[in-house]
Amino acid sequence: MGASFSAEFLKLRKRPSTWVLALVWLALIVLLGYILTYATFASIPEDAAPPGMDPDAFLQTLYPENVLSNVLAGFSSAGGGPVALILGALAVGSEYSWGTLKTVLTQRPSRSRVLLGKVFALGLVLVGLVVLAFVAGATASYVVSRLEGVAADWPSAGEILRALAVGSLISAVWTALGAFLAALFRGTPLAIGLGMVYALLLEGVVGTVLVSNEDYDPYRKFLVAENANSLINYFGSAAPEGLGPPDSIVEPTRAVLVLCAYAVFFVVLAVLLLRRRDVT
Amino acid sequence: MTAVTSKNGGAGRPPGEDLLVETRGLTKRYGGRITAVDSLDLAVRRGEVYGFLGPNGAGKTTTLRMLLGLIRPSSGKARVLGEKPGSPEGLSRVGALVESPAFYPYLSGKDNLRVMARYAGVPWWRVDEALMEVELGGRAKDKFRKYSLGMKQRLGVAAALLKDPELLILDEPTNGLDPKGMADMRALIRQLGHGNRTVLLSSHLLGEVEQICDRVGVVRKGKLVAEGTVSELRGREGLLVRASPLEEALYIAARLAGVEEATVVDGALRLIVDPERAAEINGKLVSAGISVSELRPAEQSLEEVFLELTGRETI
Ligand SMILES: Nc1ncnc2c1ncn2[C@@H]1O[C@H](COP(=O)(O)OP(=O)(O)O)[C@@H](O)[C@H]1O
Ligand SMILES: [Mg+2]
Repeated sequence: MGASFSAEFLKLRKRPSTWVLALVWLALIVLLGYILTYATFASIPEDAAPPGMDPDAFLQTLYPENVLSNVLAGFSSAGGGPVALILGALAVGSEYSWGTLKTVLTQRPSRSRVLLGKVFALGLVLVGLVVLAFVAGATASYVVSRLEGVAADWPSAGEILRALAVGSLISAVWTALGAFLAALFRGTPLAIGLGMVYALLLEGVVGTVLVSNEDYDPYRKFLVAENANSLINYFGSAAPEGLGPPDSIVEPTRAVLVLCAYAVFFVVLAVLLLRRRDVT
Repeated sequence: MTAVTSKNGGAGRPPGEDLLVETRGLTKRYGGRITAVDSLDLAVRRGEVYGFLGPNGAGKTTTLRMLLGLIRPSSGKARVLGEKPGSPEGLSRVGALVESPAFYPYLSGKDNLRVMARYAGVPWWRVDEALMEVELGGRAKDKFRKYSLGMKQRLGVAAALLKDPELLILDEPTNGLDPKGMADMRALIRQLGHGNRTVLLSSHLLGEVEQICDRVGVVRKGKLVAEGTVSELRGREGLLVRASPLEEALYIAARLAGVEEATVVDGALRLIVDPERAAEINGKLVSAGISVSELRPAEQSLEEVFLELTGRETI
């Protein structure tokens, strides 16, 4: 397993697309999470704001004390899911498109080891990405606090660790989904395409439909986004009244279990597919 | 009637012989219709360079993939180094290059081998040794996608050598190379096959197998149609006899002691027999009242054998 992990980690570390994805991800966090909001609300004079909107309330979401919830919000919507999904789909799908799977498998490792080595290496990369995301968010929020001349009030270390864990768990589900789809379709393009359709369209549309009727709540509880939001909301929404994510109907503990189950489920499916199928 | 009968690879093998590859009735079907490999019995002995010869689509790659555990046989058995194909124990002693060499395009040749060395569980210094062996040391830092086909093939061989394997499986490693590249690759394979290492080399090129291999198995439509040393395959020595009346000559010659086979080829009699017995056969034919106008030794070219075995339908 260690051998397989280190081989995979070397590949991920030297692969340009890993770094491109990381940059896109950080740019999205900073751009959507900070720059756009700041540019919109910092310049509005108090009396010119539309009725019912307090620019200060928006600016406050950008301050250091809200960095965890603001960055985590980007994990469910702004790019977090798709970026993690692409990472997983590329890591597995490229082995098929380049034909490298046969080269790897004839070296020695069993198929399960190859895949589990991949999963752990991807996990490490994800944790790195999540840490970077929070570092970028923290930097941006510090800059905002200086610009606005308010004191920086940081969350506690315990909260930060918990947010890192939540961010990693949510991205891990998407990465595992990407890896599973790539193993299913034996390639990258379809895996990314369908993964995106699921992440952006199905989860969103189905979620909206289900939200409209309480009778559907039992089903809604199984959506990845619903469980993710439950954990994100746990860090409190700094957004002004009515503009944050909707309250989740899932308990945080249950959400952790459901998300873990999803990640494991996708990985197990990918392993089974890889083990059963011919490599041609 | 086929002019050349199969040298049976399956039967009559001395017991206890050291077989690195052994298959029994190995079969692979794709869907209901395509039988890519059909009850194949293959035996590769320790230390030999074995040529697995057959035209395109004969089932060579499919067989090798089965030997490496990449695809599952539909039926039949295979043992590689005494292990189940694809088991880590077996694979740790086998190096392989199947079809075109596949590596990570964004990594250098050396980094690609570092990745493979980690998967193989061999120490990092094997990477440099393997690069040296295929003479790729000078371009090791270039990206794989910048490599020429010849360099890619050599990197594929280097990856197969990382484990310093007892058995080297190479699937048409000269495919697509220019003449110089082909010659280099063949020289490399010959060199790698020296000593104790066993090589299983597939090819659709007769000349290649003739140059490199100790023993050859000829495969056609998924079946092994002949097996033997190059000279055994070629060594269907015989006599060419022009005589009349031809029919009668055929009848008599076919019944002479020592004549394995008698056929009519292009208006002449073709006998598979020890050429030393030319005078004796001449005498027998003449005394039976047949006039013999020409009698000379005739060796079937390997080309001819190959064509007959693999393609040309004979009546
Ligand atoms: N994955 C596959 N699906 C269907 N048919 C296949 C597949 N792979 C190979 N074949 C068929 O099996 C036969 C043998 O192919 P192959 O083993 O590649 O031959 P060779 O390597 O001797 O050229 C061919 O007719 C080929 O079309
Ligand atoms: Mg082939």
